[in-house]
Amino acid sequence: MTDAAVPVTQSAVEQFTERYLRSLGCSIEHSDDYWVVSVPDTTDTEIPHGKHTLVRGEGAPDGDDDSTKRLHPESAFFQRLLREAAERSPTGKLSIESESDIETPKWIQRSDVEVQNAQFVPYYDRTAAVVLFRVGIETVSEYQKEFLRAVAVDSRSEEHLPRLAESFLELTSVESSEAPSGSAELTQTEARPLLDTARELVINEIQDRLDEIHREASRAADSEVEEYRQLQEHRITELQEEHSNLSAKINDLSEQINTGDEDSRVQALRERKELKSEYEELNETLNELRERRDGGFPERQREIRERHSLDVQVTPLTLTEVEYERGEVDFELTNGSRGQTVTLGYGSGIGVTETVRCASCDQELSEQDPVQKISNGLECQRCAKER
Amino acid sequence: MYITHTCLYERMSGYDLVDIEVTHESADDLFDSLSEDSNRGDHLQSIQAVRLQAGQPDSELRSLKELDENSVKLLEHQVDAAYRALFEMDGKALLADEVGLGKTIEVGMILKEMHFRQTDESVLILTPAQLAKQWQAELREKFGLDFVCNYDDEFEDFDAHDYIIASIDTAKSERHRETVLKRNWDVLVLDEAHYVKNEETDRYDLIDQLSYNYAFFLTATPIQNELTDLYNVVSLLRPGLFGTRDVFHHYFVNSNQETLVNRDELQDRLNKVMVRNRREDTDIDFTDRTIDTRTFDPTPKERELYQAVSNYVKGAYSQDQGQKLVLMLLQKEVVSSPVALKQTIEKRLYEQSELTHADELESILDLIDEIDTVTKQERLLDIVEEARDTVEMGRVIVFTQFRATQQQILDRLASEGYTVHAFHGGHSSSEKEQIVEDFEEEGGILVSTDAMSEGRNLQFCNILVNLDLPWNPMRVEQRIGRVHRIGQKRDVFIFNMALNDTVEEYVLERLYHKIDLFQQSVGELSSILSRLEESGTSFEDEIFERLVNAGSEVDLENDFDAMAVDLQEQRDLANKLEEFNSGVFEGFDLGESDD
Repeated sequence: MTDAAVPVTQSAVEQFTERYLRSLGCSIEHSDDYWVVSVPDTTDTEIPHGKHTLVRGEGAPDGDDDSTKRLHPESAFFQRLLREAAERSPTGKLSIESESDIETPKWIQRSDVEVQNAQFVPYYDRTAAVVLFRVGIETVSEYQKEFLRAVAVDSRSEEHLPRLAESFLELTSVESSEAPSGSAELTQTEARPLLDTARELVINEIQDRLDEIHREASRAADSEVEEYRQLQEHRITELQEEHSNLSAKINDLSEQINTGDEDSRVQALRERKELKSEYEELNETLNELRERRDGGFPERQREIRERHSLDVQVTPLTLTEVEYERGEVDFELTNGSRGQTVTLGYGSGIGVTETVRCASCDQELSEQDPVQKISNGLECQRCAKER
Repeated sequence: MYITHTCLYERMSGYDLVDIEVTHESADDLFDSLSEDSNRGDHLQSIQAVRLQAGQPDSELRSLKELDENSVKLLEHQVDAAYRALFEMDGKALLADEVGLGKTIEVGMILKEMHFRQTDESVLILTPAQLAKQWQAELREKFGLDFVCNYDDEFEDFDAHDYIIASIDTAKSERHRETVLKRNWDVLVLDEAHYVKNEETDRYDLIDQLSYNYAFFLTATPIQNELTDLYNVVSLLRPGLFGTRDVFHHYFVNSNQETLVNRDELQDRLNKVMVRNRREDTDIDFTDRTIDTRTFDPTPKERELYQAVSNYVKGAYSQDQGQKLVLMLLQKEVVSSPVALKQTIEKRLYEQSELTHADELESILDLIDEIDTVTKQERLLDIVEEARDTVEMGRVIVFTQFRATQQQILDRLASEGYTVHAFHGGHSSSEKEQIVEDFEEEGGILVSTDAMSEGRNLQFCNILVNLDLPWNPMRVEQRIGRVHRIGQKRDVFIFNMALNDTVEEYVLERLYHKIDLFQQSVGELSSILSRLEESGTSFEDEIFERLVNAGSEVDLENDFDAMAVDLQEQRDLANKLEEFNSGVFEGFDLGESDD
C-alpha cells in the first residue's frame, strides 16, 4: 500500500511555503538566497504580522524573536507553518474529474492489443470518504515507527476503494496547487460509520508490517527472558555451592560435638545452631528460586513481555469527501487489422470496476495472462498460444 | 478513544508473542470541523501539510559537498554504506565490507555528516592500538575532523575531551574503565569489531556496558571461529535481533557449525544492521605495482660506523632500558645517513651533561667525519637518472624518516642539476599544498619525510623510493598509499634501498618481503597487524628487542626468521578468515533493502 507521507525536499518546502503564504494574503519578494515576506495585519495566522526574511537552506537555527527565519525541511519556521496549515482545514471536499486520463486496465496494457480510443460515459455521481491516518507503533526494542496511510471507503456502500486512495494521493501531491474543492457535505452521523470502517481497513492494510514488528519485539523479549533465566541458573549454582559448603561445615561441627570436650562441644553447638539457621534460610531461598525456575519465572516473564508489548496508535488526521463518477467506458481495441469495442464498468479515480474473462477458457484476464486475440471475443494469451 | 486489546500467547517460530494494544484516537476534531459552517482555509493545503509532516526530511548526506575532493575521493559503495548506516539502520550498523574497500572512509563520512547535523557531542572511537594514530590522521586530513588520541600528550582522560580515539585496551583498563562507562556517548565506533566476539572477555563486557546513542562497528570478518561470533557482534548492536542464542543456533546454523541455514530469513534480519560490500561489486581497479629492492654493500667506513653504533646501542640498552627510544633512533639513523646520526649524537653530547659512554659517542662522531661517500645517496642518483629518461617530467618521490637526511639529499640532487622539492612537517598547510602543486607542474624530485603520509594524494607520480625504511609497516603502507591509490592510472614502481647486513636488510628481506608487505592491498595489512597485536606484540619493539638481544649473527637471523614465521601465520590466518567469511556470505545480497 502506498505511503501517504511525502519526502520533505527543499523544493517541496519552498513550493508549499510560497503557496500557503500567498493563500493567506502575504506577499513575497524573491532574492537568490532569501525571500522577504510581508504578512498584512488582517491576515488570520499565527505568524507575526509585518516583514520577515526567510533564508533558504541550512544554517544557524531560527532566532527566537528575530524577523529572520530559516526555511528548510527541519527549520522551526517551516514546522510551525505545517502545524498551522494542517489544523486549518482537516475536512473538506475534492473531486476527481471525469476528464482526467482514462486508465487502461493492466490486462490490456501488458498485451499487444492497442487502444485506439477510450470514452467514459458517467452515469451517476458517487462520493467516498478518504481518511489519512497516522499509525504509530511503539515498543521498547525498536525505534518508534510512524506511518501515514490513506484509506478510501465508498460513502454509500462502504466498499473499500484502494485505487481511489491512490488517486487521492496523486491529486494531493505537493506539486498540485489547485484541485476542485469545497466544504464537505457529509454530516457527523454519516461520517462516523465510514470512519469506523476505515479504521478497520487501515489496521488490515498494515497487518504485514505490524506482524513483522510484532515478531521482532517478541524475539527481543524472548532473548531478555533467556538472559534472565541464565542469570538465575548461575545464581542457583552459586547458592548450591554455598549450600553444600554449609552442609559440610555442619557435618564437621556435628563430628566435633560427638567427640570434643565439654567446652568445645558447647562452642560447636552454638556455631552449629547459627549455621543451621543460615542453612535453613539458604535452603528456602534455593527452593524458592528452583520453584520459580521450574515454573519458568512467570512473573518476570510477564513483566518483560509487558515491557516489550506493542502499542499501536491510530489517529485520523484528515477526512476528505471525494466526489467521483461511475459509469461505463468504451475501449476501442485494435490488433493488426482486427478491431473491437469493449464496454466495461468504470469509475473516475478507481479505474475499471469489473473483471473480464477469456471467451475461451473463462479465466480472468490479468497482468500475467493478458488479452491476446480480439477476433472472437477476448481471448487470453495462454489460449492463443495453445492454438 | 477506544482500545482493542489483542492478547496472543501462541507459540510461533519458537518464541512467545508479546501483546499488542491498538488504540484508536478520538476523531472529535474532525467531526467538529465537519459541523463548522465554513473551513478557515484550503483543505488541499491541510492534506499536503499533514503529508509533509509525516515525511522524512529529505535524507541526503548534506556534508558531502563540504568535503575537499583533493583530500578524499569517495566511491559509490562508500557513500551508499554511509547513507544506509545513518538513515536506514537508525545509526546502528555493522560495516562489514571486504578488506580494502574503505570502511574507515565510510565511518569518516558518517561522522562528518553527524558533525554537520550536530548530533555528535561526544564521539568515542575504539581501535586496536596500532591503528589509533592512523585513524586520527585520516579523519583529520580527509574529513577535517579533529580527534584526540590516547597516545597524544594532551590526552587527559575519557571525560576531558569530546572526540576521542583510543585503543580498546586502554579504554578497558582499570585506570580508565570507570570514566569511560560513566559517560553517555553520542557515537561509538568500534574498529576490528570481531575482537569483541567473545562474550566472556573484558572487551565484550566493556562494549556491552557502554552507553551510547549511535554505534558503528567495523570488521571484514564478522565471523572468526564459528557462526555464533556473528550472533555476539550483532547482539551488541541490536539486542534481540536474532532472538536468543539457542534460537539462533537452532534456526540459522546447521549442526556442524559450518554453514548457515534459513539464509533468506537471516539475510532479511542482517539487512537491518549490516552492510557488506564485495570487491567484485565495486569499481575499484588498482594498477600494477612493481617492487625493486636494491641492496648495496656499504663502504668499509660505513660498515665500521654501523658496527660501532650497533655495539653502542646494545651496550647502552643492556645498562639502561629507559633510553630505549633514543637508542632505537640511533639504530635507525645509522642506516639513513651519517648526517642524521651526527645531529642526534651531538645533541646528546652537548645537551646532557652527565652522559655515560660519552667517549664512545665521541669516537662515533669521528667515524662519521671520516665518511666521504654515502652509498645510498650515490645509488639514488642511478634511480632518479633512469626516471628522468623514462617517466613523465622525471617525477620521483623519495621518502626518508629524517630531516637531516632529507636536506643532504636535496643538496646533492640540486648540485647534480635536478629540480627538487622539499616536504616536511615544518611547513604550514598552505605551503604544503603549494609544494605538491609545484611538484606536479615542474616535475623533478620531491624529497619528503613521513609528514607526507597523512592524507595527501600524489597520483600524478608513479615512482617512489624508500631511501630508508620505517620499522612500522603501517608507515610503509601509508607512503605507498600516497601514489598507489584510486585514481592512479599508471603502474607504480617502488624502489627500496638497503645496506647489506644491516637491520634494514633484515627488516626488508626477512620481514616485509615475507608478508609481501609491498604487495598488500590497502587494508589487508591492518588486519594482519591487529591480529599481531592480539598476541601482545608491537612491531617496532619486537624488531629492536631482537636486534639488541641476539647473541650472535646467526641468532639474529634466526630471531628474525621466527618473527617472519609468526607474521606469515597471522597473514595466513587473516586470509583464511577472509575466505571463510566470503564463503559464508556468498550469495548473500546485502544490498539495498526493499523498505
